[in-house]
Amino acid sequence: MQLEQLSARALAAAIHAKKISSVEATTAAIARLEAAHALTNCTLSLEAEEALAAAKACDQALGAGEPAAPLAGVPLAHKDMFDRKGRIASWGARIRAPAPATQDATVIARYKAAGALQIAALHLTEFAFGPTGHNYVLGHARNPWDPTRITGGSSAGTAAAVAYGAIPAGLGSDTGGSLRLPAAACGVASIKPTWGRVSRAGAMPLSPALDTIGVIARHVEDLALMLGLLAGPDARDPAASPLPVPNYLARLDDPVSGLRLGIDAAVIGSAHPDVQDMLQQVTKILAKQGLVATPCRFPDWQTLDHLVQLTQLPDCSAAHAHYLRTRPDDYGPQVRARLEVGHFIGAIDHLTALRARGGYLARTLQETFKDIDIAILPILADPLPTIAELDIGGGPTLQAAMARVVKYTRPINYLGLPTLALPVPRNGGLPNGIQLVGRPYAEAQLLAVGRAYQREVPPEIARPLA
Amino acid sequence: MAQQPQEDQKGSGPAADLDMPPERRRAAQAHAAQLALAAAKVAAELPLGADVDDFRRLLMTEARP
Repeated sequence: MQLEQLSARALAAAIHAKKISSVEATTAAIARLEAAHALTNCTLSLEAEEALAAAKACDQALGAGEPAAPLAGVPLAHKDMFDRKGRIASWGARIRAPAPATQDATVIARYKAAGALQIAALHLTEFAFGPTGHNYVLGHARNPWDPTRITGGSSAGTAAAVAYGAIPAGLGSDTGGSLRLPAAACGVASIKPTWGRVSRAGAMPLSPALDTIGVIARHVEDLALMLGLLAGPDARDPAASPLPVPNYLARLDDPVSGLRLGIDAAVIGSAHPDVQDMLQQVTKILAKQGLVATPCRFPDWQTLDHLVQLTQLPDCSAAHAHYLRTRPDDYGPQVRARLEVGHFIGAIDHLTALRARGGYLARTLQETFKDIDIAILPILADPLPTIAELDIGGGPTLQAAMARVVKYTRPINYLGLPTLALPVPRNGGLPNGIQLVGRPYAEAQLLAVGRAYQREVPPEIARPLA
Repeated sequence: MAQQPQEDQKGSGPAADLDMPPERRRAAQAHAAQLALAAAKVAAELPLGADVDDFRRLLMTEARP
C-alpha cells in the first residue's frame, strides 16, 4: 500500500478496515514530513510523540469495536494559525498571542470530532500576509518540485507537505489568494469556500472582511469530505453562515456536462503567454467532460483590485497598529512595509470599498454570471518564479511585485465567491494551476467539476517513493 | 469624497508616529493616493443607501448550494 499516494478518505477506509493501523499510518506520515521539511522548510513544530499516542488510542478504540469517525486515525497537519487549547500558535511570526489558547479553533475542534490526528503545525508567511512563501522571520518555504522555486503563500507549509505526499490534506486560509497560490505553485488542489461558509473562530485574523478558511489536498474527494466536516453555523463566529451544508461527497458525481465555463478574454489576456496556454489546455480537458466554453466579462478588474486593497490594508493595519508602534523591529521587512501602507488609507475610502461590495457582487452575478455557471481564471499570472526573483523584502519594488502575484486571486476575495484551485497538467515541467469560480455557496458544483477533471488529470506527488 | 494624500511629511494622521524612512513613507503615500483615486471614482457612483451589510445579505439570497 503506497500510503503517500492515498487520499485521506482512502486512508481512513484502510484504517477502519484494519488493513493498516493508525500507528503505522502516523509513523509513516511523520517520517515523510521530516523528509519534506528537510527539502522545503514546511514544518514549524513536529508533534510526533503526541500524535503517536493519539494514534495508539485510536487503534485501541477501533479494536474494541467503537464506531469509527470519518477521519478516525488519519494523520493531518495544518497551517500554524489556529488556536489549540493550551498552546500558542506561531502565526509565522515573532509577535504571538500573550497566553495559550483556552479552547480549540472551531475548525480544529471539528477535525478532532471527526477523528483526525494532528502531527505538526506548518509553515506560513508571517501573519499569513504574503503570497509567495517568503518568511523573513522564520525562513522561506521551498517548493517540493524544485526547491529554488517559491511555494506560494501564505499557506505554504500545508501545500508543500501535501504535494510532497507527507499528508493527504491540511488546513489553510485565504485573504487574498493564500489557499490558491500555494496550491497552484505546489501542484495540488484547494477549496476556498464562499466567505462565511466556514467558521473563523479561533483562527488568527488578518482581514476579517475577507478571511476564509479552507482546505488544501491532492484529491478533490478529500476537499469534499473535509469541507463537509468543517462548514456550518457557529455561535462563535457571527459571520458563519446558517445555510444548511450540502453532502459534498454525495454530490461529487453530479453531472457536469452542459455547464457553461466562462472565459473573460480581456482579464486573462494580461497573463504570461505560457499561462494562457495552460488555461486553454485545461479548458479543452473540461470540454471533454462536456463543459461549454462561453465568453463572459468581469467588472473592471483593476477597480476590483483597488477595492480589495482598500478593504484589506486598513483591516490588517488596525489589528497590528499597536505592535507596529511598540515592536516594529519584530516584524519582517515585507510585512512591516505592507502594514504601514494601511495607515495612509482614510476611513472614508475604506468604508467606500465596504459599502460598494454588495453592488459589485450584484453586478458580477447579474452580468458576469448571466450566461455562465462557472468562470475559469489563472491563479499565478506567470510561470513559477524562483525564491531569489521575489526575495525583495520591503524594498521599492514590493507593491508592484505583490500586485502581479495576486493579480488573479485577491479581486475574487472582494466578491466573496467560492473557488476551486486545480493543478494544470505538468507535462514534465513545473507546477501551476487554475481557479474555477462559482456562484455563492456553489461549492458542490465546483467540486463535481474538479472530480471530473481529476479523471483526466489524476493527482500526483512531488517526490514519490521508489 | 476621497481624502487627499499627505505631503511628504509625517503630518498628524494615523501614520504620523510610525518609524518609517522617508522613501518608504513616500512610497506608501503614493500607493494610498492611487487607491484613493479609485475610491473617489467608485464613491461618485455609489448610492447613498449602499450599506456594508449589502454584501453579506446578497451572498445569502443568491446562494446556490
